[in-house]
Amino acid sequence: MPIVTTLKADFYSSVQNMIHENEVYGVKRKTPSFAFDKLCATQELCLDYDITVLPPNQYLLPPTDPLITFNLSPEVSIRSKVESRATIILGIHAYDLHAIKLLDAVFTGNLVDVNYQARRSATAIIGVDCLNPWLYSFAASMGTALPPSIFDLWLTDLGGEYLIEVGSSRGQDLSKRYLKTKSARKVQIRQRDKFRQDSLNRYQLSLDRSAQEIPEILDKAWKNPLWEELGEKCFSCGSCTMVCPTCVCFDVRDKITLNLKRGERYRLGDSCMFDAFDKVASGENFRPTGTDRLRHRLYRKGKYMLERWGELGCVGCGRCVHACLVDIASPVYAYNRLVKEATQWPSA
Amino acid sequence: MRPKVGVFDFTCCQGCELQILNCEEEMPDLIAALDIVAFREAMTERGNYYDIAFIDGACSRESEIVSLKEIRKRAKIVIPIGACACLGGVNCLKNAYPMDEVLKAEYGEAASYYDTIPARPISAVIPVDFFMPGCPIVKEEFIRVVQELLAGRDPYQPNDPVCAECKAGGNVCVFDKGMTCLGPVTRGGCKATCVTGGAVCWGCRGLIDEPNIHAEKEILESAGLSMEDITKRFNLFNVCQEGVWK
Repeated sequence: MPIVTTLKADFYSSVQNMIHENEVYGVKRKTPSFAFDKLCATQELCLDYDITVLPPNQYLLPPTDPLITFNLSPEVSIRSKVESRATIILGIHAYDLHAIKLLDAVFTGNLVDVNYQARRSATAIIGVDCLNPWLYSFAASMGTALPPSIFDLWLTDLGGEYLIEVGSSRGQDLSKRYLKTKSARKVQIRQRDKFRQDSLNRYQLSLDRSAQEIPEILDKAWKNPLWEELGEKCFSCGSCTMVCPTCVCFDVRDKITLNLKRGERYRLGDSCMFDAFDKVASGENFRPTGTDRLRHRLYRKGKYMLERWGELGCVGCGRCVHACLVDIASPVYAYNRLVKEATQWPSA
Repeated sequence: MRPKVGVFDFTCCQGCELQILNCEEEMPDLIAALDIVAFREAMTERGNYYDIAFIDGACSRESEIVSLKEIRKRAKIVIPIGACACLGGVNCLKNAYPMDEVLKAEYGEAASYYDTIPARPISAVIPVDFFMPGCPIVKEEFIRVVQELLAGRDPYQPNDPVCAECKAGGNVCVFDKGMTCLGPVTRGGCKATCVTGGAVCWGCRGLIDEPNIHAEKEILESAGLSMEDITKRFNLFNVCQEGVWK
């Protein structure tokens, strides 16, 4: 696939046209942070950002997502509800795209989730390299600071222009329709590679071991007193999971009209940090304490998801590190502590 | 047959009842589904028996105890609505003072015409079947609870902290804006309205079942609040321990 360049000024007027003809969700300022939101004008777009409050998952897995509608009277009938609109996500960072790769494995792997799949295939992804990483991010050591090859277009800020890598035929179409491009010169590609390399060295947080070793570290950590130490402070508030780009758990509920004739079954985001998440019909709770739930979350991120879906459940974005008011949610902190204390607490 | 419904007011501002009346879009369906037989803020007629009684306000007079017991006798399901009814709410702030002083402060020379007792939530006076907290209640929650009751279900009682909906809604954390908040220990279900609107959570929906009070005190302290300030924050809606849900 081709690599091209476009002048920044040209790019922003292209975005204006793109907004005019498509539903475009891009990164906007949300003081003191940034957030994905519907773009109405090209001036709103901020591509030089460090982090967004939430990952762009909401466009693939909306907070409340209708699954079926039903009639109860005069006759019972059920119809599935699949909603999708052609959408462009503009300005996604590499770690968030790695998360989407994981979502793809979860929702379109062995079992296909039609609602996710419909939205996913209607969504074009235009990403951008994060050259000035966020203070709390550790994407470099998770191996997620550079994009996986599932983007349509990928931008790198070279100063006066963007280098754009075309990643798909949809990307090719977008480029043809909206962008004013020139072929990239070799020197520009080398410049991109250098910028990327420099950015990897700018991450403040990092794992003491390679990310591939995390499952092994966790294998020996089940009884480590660290879980108790962190769990004691836990609010079980779910903040860490609500901001997480790889958290996919949901609850399913029904809504019925006041006349009891019609209704809708929908899903909404749930969290393994909630007391009710692990409560079963008998009233039993198989992860009854904050400590149990916190440990589960870090095992899921560092081991279970990899075993089941082939991708680590943590992309190192750092949102949970920052979102946690009592500073206990950080995977990088927990995994590094476990490495240090592995010899002291070897029991599985 | 439509269930008979009564809406009653005790010591409160009646704002929660106003929230019911604010359900303008759903009002035709509400009236079609419910036979509202008592609702002093909205109508003159008054029936005597209720399938569902919604109670707004705390109990703060002897005469209210009598009325509440009478309502309990005549109602199949009793649901306190709002912070005052569920928790005692701000009314309970007066409980720290002698009752005669409170009366004088409020009514001056006319104090002798009135009587008052320490304020308490409805559940401290009569058994209740469900709680619908908030200051005021959330319209959507009122509609949902009515729907669930009509469908013969036990209403779903949220127990996740305000933080969950707040984060899911994409809010910048109050603490990141240099303010402080009771969201981590407060029962959600309000879609974090106050934070979304630029304010902070004051805890009007009461505490969750297992709040980490110790951790909340720590984060408020490290944000610069004195122990006195922290106590005041907690006490605004949650001073009355009888309001703890069980």
